[in-house]
Amino acid sequence: MFKYQFRWDTVWGSFDFLMGGLQMTLIISAITLVLAMLGGLIIALLDMSRFRILRWIGISIGEVVRNTPILVQLLWVYYVLPIVFGVRIEALVALIIGLALYQASFISEVYRSGIQSVPKGHREAAQVLGLTPFQSFNRIVLPQAIRMTLPPLASNFVQLIKFSSLGAVISVSEITRRGMELSATNFRPLETFTFIAVVYFFICWPLAMAIRFWERRLQAR
Amino acid sequence: MSISSPLILADGVSKKFGANQVLTRVTLEVLERDVVCVVGPSGSGKTTLLRCLALLEEPSEGRVVMEGVPISTPSPSKQVKAAARDVRSEIGMVFQHFNLWPHMSVLQNLIEAPMRVKKMPRDQAVAIAEGLLNKVDLSDKRDAYPARLSGGQQQRVAIARALAMNPKVLLFDEATSALDPELRREVLAVMRQLAREGMTMLVVTHEMGFARHVGTRTVFMDRGEIVEAAPGSAFFDAPQTERARRFLQQFEDE
Ligand SMILES: Nc1ncnc2c1ncn2[C@@H]1O[C@H](COP(=O)(O)OP(=O)(O)OP(=O)(O)O)[C@@H](O)[C@H]1O
Ligand SMILES: [Mg+2]
Repeated sequence: MFKYQFRWDTVWGSFDFLMGGLQMTLIISAITLVLAMLGGLIIALLDMSRFRILRWIGISIGEVVRNTPILVQLLWVYYVLPIVFGVRIEALVALIIGLALYQASFISEVYRSGIQSVPKGHREAAQVLGLTPFQSFNRIVLPQAIRMTLPPLASNFVQLIKFSSLGAVISVSEITRRGMELSATNFRPLETFTFIAVVYFFICWPLAMAIRFWERRLQAR
Repeated sequence: MSISSPLILADGVSKKFGANQVLTRVTLEVLERDVVCVVGPSGSGKTTLLRCLALLEEPSEGRVVMEGVPISTPSPSKQVKAAARDVRSEIGMVFQHFNLWPHMSVLQNLIEAPMRVKKMPRDQAVAIAEGLLNKVDLSDKRDAYPARLSGGQQQRVAIARALAMNPKVLLFDEATSALDPELRREVLAVMRQLAREGMTMLVVTHEMGFARHVGTRTVFMDRGEIVEAAPGSAFFDAPQTERARRFLQQFEDE
């Protein structure tokens, strides 16, 4: 590499500042995951509804969200929603709403495939024994489906850690945003962004590996 | 309800899947303590008939009648639906692929329906379950999960689970077909024991030995119809139709 004088001390000097951003990143991801799990449930219920209009709404949300860029969605939530509803929303709130909506559209599919992973015969056995459809869903399908959906939900958390960096664009003070601010004052983008990439990597990579191991164990069941 | 009415009756049952006519006016009655064996080539509609009797499929024509009361008809009335709910758990079914619930232990599999459907107190359900596990010789597997059991053990648990609801009739759909030959024997032994105790059974099977020696009546199905029905081993000793003779030929070297 060309002669470059690394100045890692500029990063260490702001270690607490960046770690505060990391904390923010993780909190945003966790809150968003919970909201996205609820949102995913609502979308899944809409998709399976008996009423055509509700089904149409559920499917439309999914299609729109999956076929537009997440950054555009965030900008839309941040700049357009306030105009539509006439209220100012915090960048942080906009980020969480936008990300949650985005992930919810995927999580609704996770739920669906979790439920479909339970063999029909398990429900038929319950039906023949006299369990009601509700009991059968509650006692036979749901517990098995939940087990299948946990690893994909954990994967969603990993994705959220990465996607939450988009908050930087609307100045949410998570770790990427703080990196941008730091490099604007220390003029050391190389050290700063390398450090940040390494932080993301060492959080996401072990999680991703653990999830893969977990999924393989479930499949071997 | 008259004394003479069969325990369960398929009364002119037809079933179509789209344009595919799978059953054509099948009439079959099962009397108390009968062990009716249903044999026939693959695709002849045996499973579909059983599923109609187990109320898993609705007939396209005809009806299913239990002790004189219709419990399944095409587009059933409220009355028929209510009758079906009442007798639902009196018709037990054992599936080819066991269909045990993998997230529950053997004991939990056995007590689930008695507790939820019959609202039986747990102690009582457990006592019954333990008795049944003893009967199918699996007392030591009480707390095991299905995945840890052999196929033969799983099927015996499935039989015990069906018995836990104290059904009036048990339907078996090729209960041994998914098993290795050595494991079949232990399941067949349980079925033979049940027959000896007077359990009413409708058994779809490829085990001609079981049909001949344990069955009180053998029904031969082909292409969605009952072609022949004969008591005990008569079907095997003197098949009346060419189709039945051809079917039986495959088993001659057994
Ligand atoms: N749910 C379904 N939808 C469409 N067709 C079906 C359905 N279930 C069964 N069939 C068709 O009905 C016919 C009879 O099937 P069935 O399973 O009752 O036969 P079977 O006698 O049990 O055969 P096997 O000995 O192979 O188990 C087959 O042609 C099958 O493809
Ligand atoms: Mg079959």
